[in-house]
Amino acid sequence: MTSIDRPVRVALPRGELREALAERLAAVGFVAEGYGEGSRTYRFPVTGLPGIVVRVFSEQDIPIQVALGNYDLGITRLAWVDELLVRHQRDSIVPLRALDLGWQSLVLAGAPGTDWMRLAAEQPIEVATEYPDLATHVLNRLRVPRYRVFDVWGQAHAWPPDDADLALVAIEEPDNRIDAGPGMLEGEGLAPLLTVYTGPACLIANRQALAHRHLAAALEALLALPAAARPWGFTLPVPDTVIRLPRARQVSQREQFRMAVPDGHAQRHTVAALADAGLSFAGYEAGQADRRPDSGLADVEVKVMRPQDMPRAVALGHFDLAVSGRDWLFAHTAAFPASPVIELGDLRRSRYSLGAVVSEDLPAATIAEAVAYWRRDDPRRTLRVASEYVALADHYARERHLGRYQVIPISGASEGFVPEDAEILIEGTETGTTLRANRLRMIDVIMESTNCLIGHAARPDGRRGELRDELTARLAGAALAAQEG
Amino acid sequence: MAQDIEDRTTGGTDDRRDGISSAMQPPGDDLRARGMHDLGPAEMRRFRDVERRFLDTVIAAGYAEIRTPTIEPLHLFTASGSLSPQLLDRAYSFLDWDGWSGERVVLRPDGTVPAARWYRQAWTGSEPARLCYVQAIYRFEPGDGQRQQWQCGVELFGLPAVDADSEVVLLGVNVLAALGLTGIEAEVAHAGLVRSLLESAGVGASEQPGAVETLAAGDPPPGAGEALRLLAQVEAGGATAEAYLANLRAALPSGVIEAARALDELSATAAALTAAGVALRFRPATSANFEYYTGTTFRLTAGGEALVAGGRYDGLVAAIGGAYVPGCGFGADLMKLAERLP
Repeated sequence: MTSIDRPVRVALPRGELREALAERLAAVGFVAEGYGEGSRTYRFPVTGLPGIVVRVFSEQDIPIQVALGNYDLGITRLAWVDELLVRHQRDSIVPLRALDLGWQSLVLAGAPGTDWMRLAAEQPIEVATEYPDLATHVLNRLRVPRYRVFDVWGQAHAWPPDDADLALVAIEEPDNRIDAGPGMLEGEGLAPLLTVYTGPACLIANRQALAHRHLAAALEALLALPAAARPWGFTLPVPDTVIRLPRARQVSQREQFRMAVPDGHAQRHTVAALADAGLSFAGYEAGQADRRPDSGLADVEVKVMRPQDMPRAVALGHFDLAVSGRDWLFAHTAAFPASPVIELGDLRRSRYSLGAVVSEDLPAATIAEAVAYWRRDDPRRTLRVASEYVALADHYARERHLGRYQVIPISGASEGFVPEDAEILIEGTETGTTLRANRLRMIDVIMESTNCLIGHAARPDGRRGELRDELTARLAGAALAAQEG
Repeated sequence: MAQDIEDRTTGGTDDRRDGISSAMQPPGDDLRARGMHDLGPAEMRRFRDVERRFLDTVIAAGYAEIRTPTIEPLHLFTASGSLSPQLLDRAYSFLDWDGWSGERVVLRPDGTVPAARWYRQAWTGSEPARLCYVQAIYRFEPGDGQRQQWQCGVELFGLPAVDADSEVVLLGVNVLAALGLTGIEAEVAHAGLVRSLLESAGVGASEQPGAVETLAAGDPPPGAGEALRLLAQVEAGGATAEAYLANLRAALPSGVIEAARALDELSATAAALTAAGVALRFRPATSANFEYYTGTTFRLTAGGEALVAGGRYDGLVAAIGGAYVPGCGFGADLMKLAERLP
């Protein structure tokens, strides 16, 4: 158990909710210095309340941190709280107050006019989402007989209609001034088919902290925030009939060659790799990524997707070729060793080391020494391993015989975890600069990652196979030449 | 058979059961996963004793033992409509090594659905299948409740009501007698009867599970006809069962053919059981898992404690993609039976 003398820890969200929340907090006299201004620090003192420390996390990490007891109080979206609570018992989190800000709805979205109930009676329906446990809960409540839930890194709305039947996504209310309102769906050519949940931001507390720690000062301030004035929760219709089990989904042979390219950080490296090979896709340039760029090549359809999600999409047979990363491929096969995805070629860019990161103050040169150090007073201490690569962190912990460990999934702001909230961070670093700036160092390298081409272990027949071979040779060959030249 | 947590008359944490295993633990150092309990030597001796008596009894009656895997596809349970969403929420479902497909598997939360799956895949004969099993099921229970439960059960596929129903109830009675228990009583109900009566009272399918619960507590829903009132508020059985059933028949709403047919079935089963010397009581329902059953349902008690539960579930094999096959069976919590061994 952590010392009862430590400061009261409050987890607040970074990202889109931050500005609106900071305004409301200031209005009730709770000012975390620098929080509202979007300072890049992770920890903030609170004006006039010396026993309280604020730390920022991604919204979805806050319920986990409060449940673990690392943080006593937190404010995040109720949808993320319920994502945790639908699957895990209510022991650790007490939702204290739904707040009157940050309202959003979770909707099942798909191609306009999709009759999802009829679809569910004909075949297993596929739902892409960042809320896999909520999606499972919703699908069970709707009595959908057979379904597949793709938990994705983001941009679930990118998947339908060609790579999933539906997406379960969060739609922001216009007042939130967040760019993820109904227009986001329209932009993808999707429509909201069913609203399944609605909820605002919420103040949550750790149950044990409420029982044992002095939270009164923080509570008094935070409970002055206005409470939600309208109902929240699931808005599911109750189906009257049970739908019969559909036969296994008929996988029709896809004729069209499909290629996936990444957005985000990986995009510029991919644009460069394409350029080396004398290729360029219209609508896929620096700072711009249409969902379906024009490849300019006969028979080659291109789609933009998060690189983290590509191994799964390839395994499902949706793409013949995808530009992802060796790190994401490794993470995927760590979770699913039988998955039929393989590396087809190394594109040699976006090079970085993926490994175990610890505090630079740690008196240990190897991971084994670190483990011995951490357990010097308590041989049964649970080591906390934080990572965005959950399966990889698990795999690493077992390989290195960490003994009793706990993987903490995180989704960004990773540098702030070690040492207060985790012993080890599984993370990537290109030059080491960011690590050093955060007083961290990499103690153990798991792999060197570069961007790479991935494809299905079973080479497609016909024209699709030919195109796959041609493009692979062209891109990988050019990457090699660029490296050597 | 779906033995519900809700069915237990001894609800909540069973201190006596925990006391048996907690005595074996080093104090203050529980290395077990939450909700999981060991069976030490004394408990295993009792376990094997119950198991042997159960198997001897049912095998002598022509039942054959099967064993299905611990892990099944989740869609087997979501599709069959046999587990309510509330029960599905408590199943141990997860993505296994092939989970890149996005489909979860589940630790068996119920014994009957896997048996129906086995029947559908492996039974080639045209004669009825008499099956039995002893295996663990897994369901989340809050706190330190049992999340792994050992079930012993039987399933009878391919034989319609009434013969099959009375066979299975009598088999349950014999199992309890083989354990040395006395004062065995059977509570019986008919899911199809209640369903059709609720429908004719305007209670939609989605509201029926809730209505059945309140019925079982003695409260007929608003708009309920006389038959539902009788079911909810009259305790009947024993020597005057025939009179009660005749009254119930008179109270049925006219034109609801399904209700009349269901009552005929219940009456015939009750007559067969009474003739065989079983002490009967009628209930509106004997299981909280209402959606599972289509026909006669029952619960066997000894000394007032419910130990065996079961009923008819004709739609199950069809619901998992097979032909329409009648089926019925029962299940019991083996450790609960073990505690009652004299």
